[in-house]
Amino acid sequence: MGLTKATKGRLFRLAPSTVLIVLLATAPAWADISIISLLTKIIIFGVLAMSLDMVFGYLGLWSFCHAALFSVAAYVDAILIQHFGVSFWLAAPVSILAAAAAAALFAWIGLRMSGIYFLLITLALGQLVFSVAFVWRAFTGGSQGLSSISYPNIGIEFSPVSFYYFTFVIVLVCAVILHLLMKSPFGYSLRGIRENETRMIAIGFNTWMHKFIAFTISGAFAGVAGVLYVHYNGIIIPSTGDMASSGLITIMVIIGGAGSLWGGMIGGAIIYILSYFVSLFTPERWPLILGACFVAAVMFFRGGVYPQLLRWWRLASGAKSALRESREG
Amino acid sequence: MDVVIVSVLSGMSYGVVLFLVAAGLSFVLGLMGIVNVAHGALVMTGAYAGIHVAKATGSLILGGLAGALLAGLVGFLLERAFLRNLYKFQLEQILVTFGFIYILANIHLWVYGSWPLDAFVPSVLNGSVVIGRFSFSVFRLLIMGIGAVLCPVLWWIQDRTRIGAVIRAGMDDPDMLAVMGINLRPVNIAVFFAAASLAGFAGVIGAFPLGGVTLGLGQDMIFLAIAVVVVGGVGSIQGAFAGALTMGVFSSVAGTYLPAAAIFVPYFLMVAILIFRPQGLLGRSEA
Repeated sequence: MGLTKATKGRLFRLAPSTVLIVLLATAPAWADISIISLLTKIIIFGVLAMSLDMVFGYLGLWSFCHAALFSVAAYVDAILIQHFGVSFWLAAPVSILAAAAAAALFAWIGLRMSGIYFLLITLALGQLVFSVAFVWRAFTGGSQGLSSISYPNIGIEFSPVSFYYFTFVIVLVCAVILHLLMKSPFGYSLRGIRENETRMIAIGFNTWMHKFIAFTISGAFAGVAGVLYVHYNGIIIPSTGDMASSGLITIMVIIGGAGSLWGGMIGGAIIYILSYFVSLFTPERWPLILGACFVAAVMFFRGGVYPQLLRWWRLASGAKSALRESREG
Repeated sequence: MDVVIVSVLSGMSYGVVLFLVAAGLSFVLGLMGIVNVAHGALVMTGAYAGIHVAKATGSLILGGLAGALLAGLVGFLLERAFLRNLYKFQLEQILVTFGFIYILANIHLWVYGSWPLDAFVPSVLNGSVVIGRFSFSVFRLLIMGIGAVLCPVLWWIQDRTRIGAVIRAGMDDPDMLAVMGINLRPVNIAVFFAAASLAGFAGVIGAFPLGGVTLGLGQDMIFLAIAVVVVGGVGSIQGAFAGALTMGVFSSVAGTYLPAAAIFVPYFLMVAILIFRPQGLLGRSEA
C-alpha cells in the first residue's frame, strides 16, 4: 500500500473523532426525535463544558461561575429578542459579548485570589447573577423566568432536526477553535501557568494577563452555549445559572477528564444519557443518582473517561506510537 | 428608632443561627483544610429530625439534642467514609460533599415528603415582648440567649483549654504537633463531629427565624455559611461570630429599608472583604 507509517498513525488517531462526527452528523437518520433533542442538549452543554475545561483543566483555575456566565448570555439574548424585538443576528453577538464582559469582570475581581478562594469568589459572583435574575422581575421574569422563546429567526423554518444541525455546525466550529487555541503557544503557556506559575513569571510571562484573557475567552464560549440553549429550551429560569448548575458542569469535566477538551462533552453525554434513562424509570430519585455520580466520579474516576479511552485506543494502535504520544501529551 | 432596634435585634438572632452553622465550617476548614459543602445539608438533616422529635415529644430540648445527634452522626460517617481519603484535595472535597447535598436532600424528600416544615415553638415561648410600637418574639430572644451562652463557652474552649490549644496548634503547624507526639486524628474526628452537631442544632432552633425549613435549605445555608466564614475569617470563634453578626444585622436592616437589596447583602460583604481584607474581619493571620 502507498501509505507511509506516519499517515497510517494519523489515520488511526483521527478515526475515533471521525466516527463520532459522522455518527452525530447522521443522527437524524438513526434516532427518533427525543434522542435528537437529547443530543442537541448534550452538544450545547459540551461547549459549556469545554469552555470550563479551558480554564479549569488547562489553566488550573477552579471556576465555579460558568453556569452563571452561560445564563448571562441566555438572559441577554432572550431579553433583547422578547423585550426589544432585536434580530437574532444582533442579539446573539451582543449576548456572547455580555458573557465575555461578565467573565472579564469576574476575572478582574477573582484573580486576586487563587485555589479555593478563587472558587469561593467565583461561586459568590455566580450566585450574584442568579440573584439579579431572581429579583429584576421587569426584565427577567423573576422566578418564573422568560418563556416561549422561539428558534432563531434567521429566515429558516426551524424544526428540531434542522435546529440540531444548526447547533451541530456551531458546536463543531467552537470545538475546532478551542482545539486550535489549546494547541497554540497561548494554550501551552496556560498549561505552563497551571504547572508552575512562578517559573512562568520568571521567564517573562505576564501570567495575570494570560489568565484574564483565557477567562474572558472562556466566558465568550460559555455565552455561545447560553445563546444556543435559550433557543433550544425555549425557557430560561434563574436556577439555570446557580451554583448547583456550575457544580454539574464541573462534574461533567471531571468525569470526562479535565484538560482533555473533548472530555467535557463526553462527561456531559454520560450525565445526560443517564438522566434521560433515569427520568424514564424513576424521575423522583434522579438527584440521589446524580449525587452518587458526583461521589463516584471523584472517588473512582478522577482521571476521567476520555483520557482512559484515548490510552486504550493508542495501545490498540501500536505500543510504540502510544508511548511517544503519552510522552508528548 | 424602634424600627431600627427591632430590625437589629432580629438581625442578631438570625446572626446567632448563622454563627452556629459557620463556626463549625470555619473550624473544619481551618484545622483540617476541609471545605464541607454538605455542611448546609447537615443543618437540614438536623432540622427535619429535630423538629419531628420536638413535635412528637413537645420538648424543644429533646428536639435540639436529636437534631444535633443525627447531624453529628451523618457528619461523622461522611468524614470517615469519604473525606478522610481526600485531605488536601480541596476541589475533590467540594465535589463529593456537593454530591451529598443532592443525596441528603433526596433522602429527605423520600422520608418526609416535599412540604416545607414549620418551626417548632413551645407554647411558653410563643409570646412576644413589646418594644415601643413593635413587638419582638420571645423565641428570638431565646436564640440570642443561646448565642450569648454558647459563644463565650466556645471561645473559652478555643483559647483557654488544652484541647483548644491543640486545635490552634493543629491549624498552624500539624507536622510540629505530630513531632511532639500529639495524634491529631481523634481531634479531627471530634471537631468534625462537633461541627456537624452544632449545624444540626442550629437547624432545629434556626427554623423559626428562617421561617420554616425546606429541602433547599442545604444549598441556601451553605452559601450563607461560606459567606460568613469569608467575611469573618477562617478558623476562629470570634471571626465566625463577627462575620455572622455582620451578615445577620446587615441582611435584616437591608430587609427592613430596602427589601429588594437584602438578597445581595451576602455577596457585597463577601466580595468587598475578599478585595480589601482577604483574611477576613478577625481571621487568623495567614502564617
